[in-house]
Amino acid sequence: MSELAPSAAAPVARLIDAFHRLPGVGPKSAQRLTYHLIRMPRDEAEELASAIIGVKDRIVFCDTCMNISESVECAICRDLTRDRTRICIVEEPLDVLAVERARAFRGMYHVLHGVISPVNGIGPDDLKLKELLVRLADGTVTEVIIATNPNLEGEATAMYIQRLLSHLGVKVTALARGLPSGADLEYADDSTLAHAMESRAEVQSSNGTGGSGGGASPGLAN
Amino acid sequence: MVSSRPHTYSVEAVVVRASDFGEADRLVTLLTPFRGLVRAVARGARKPKSRLGGNVDLLRHIKASLAEGRSLHSVSQAESLTSLRGLHSGLEKMSTGLYMAEVAERFSVEGGPNPALFNQFVQMLQVLDEEPVNPLMARWFDMHVLRINGFLPAISDCVDCGSALEPKDHVFSPARGGLVCPECRATENDVLLPASMNTIKLLRHMARSRWDAVRPVDAGEEELRQAGRILREHMQFVLDRHVRSSAFMDEVTRWRPAGANSPSP
Repeated sequence: MSELAPSAAAPVARLIDAFHRLPGVGPKSAQRLTYHLIRMPRDEAEELASAIIGVKDRIVFCDTCMNISESVECAICRDLTRDRTRICIVEEPLDVLAVERARAFRGMYHVLHGVISPVNGIGPDDLKLKELLVRLADGTVTEVIIATNPNLEGEATAMYIQRLLSHLGVKVTALARGLPSGADLEYADDSTLAHAMESRAEVQSSNGTGGSGGGASPGLAN
Repeated sequence: MVSSRPHTYSVEAVVVRASDFGEADRLVTLLTPFRGLVRAVARGARKPKSRLGGNVDLLRHIKASLAEGRSLHSVSQAESLTSLRGLHSGLEKMSTGLYMAEVAERFSVEGGPNPALFNQFVQMLQVLDEEPVNPLMARWFDMHVLRINGFLPAISDCVDCGSALEPKDHVFSPARGGLVCPECRATENDVLLPASMNTIKLLRHMARSRWDAVRPVDAGEEELRQAGRILREHMQFVLDRHVRSSAFMDEVTRWRPAGANSPSP
């Protein structure tokens, strides 16, 4: 039983333990959440419990893109208006929401459910890579856009995927990296600045002409 | 009156472990020369506009300002000391760097100063940053991390009886921590690893030489395999655990991708 709350009643200690196992929840937060739930009206607590059970009962992985879905095919994969020649590879289902929010991509997705993290014992076999290869087998997809996080493990995953797909003849691209909008140059780290410098683009004139830099595929947004 | 302001201090460090924490924070483990491992939270580091973000990524060599907390310290500032951008130029470099980071972390403890280990680690990251990957890099690093921590395998004489080893093939016992002569070989349940004469020469050369002298060595496939297995199993026996990132480093080096129908060229 819980070492976090040795003097708490058994059901309380059990709930503290359960919260503590959640990502980003430390022992203090687990205790706070538990005691908040104890004070919560019964119907609200039941609603929360029912929502948790509902997620476990009704949510599955989409057979195609591995995103979380209510059915074997998610809404994005069912949408026939989307561009099926491009697949954007992301680490987690939340990343699909982030890319969709930007309204800059109308292709399909593939969710890896993780990233290669050798120190944590997570290797390529733990990601949804075999499912990706199955999707690419029929030749419909012409471009794979890797949108893993811009950190070392994300880069390693991107390079691994690039190697994995190198013999398939599919174009493999990765999201550009550089300075975020609204940021101050003086606070940028050297790696971000170096990437931004390497990916510099010709400044567009006010009438929209000038420059072929940027490199992004113009068709992505539509 | 006691000040409620947290004590802050500045350290040179390399980020050897990083994981998501809370909404947008990153929990990092820093290897430092004089404080050993330090676990700290980099608040907001996962946000694109964070001033910390890029500098608290894995394998970054930084100068960090840390504020002491009750259980975890927090990173208030971080600036890059060595760029090490070359580490990002290939999968072999990344996987070897991550392997070295895990080895350095496993041989360190919180609050335990070990400047020799830290300097060795930073030096090898710089080598990895600047030079093409050489399969001896990780092996040489293994050997010298073991030496610095007092676990250098016995490869000069028999680990049991101390007699000089004849110049021929022998076996290595991870449990006993060294090469054993034919007379001392038989012990029940002792795993013995083959060590050819050339493998022994390679191990001895790595143990007594700086990297500059080991770099040009053109070791054979079999010697590399044997030396790798000896050092890895010796290290596993010393640490009582497996270095997990070695599997990925090996896979990348051999390049047999998961799920691929045919290996890439």
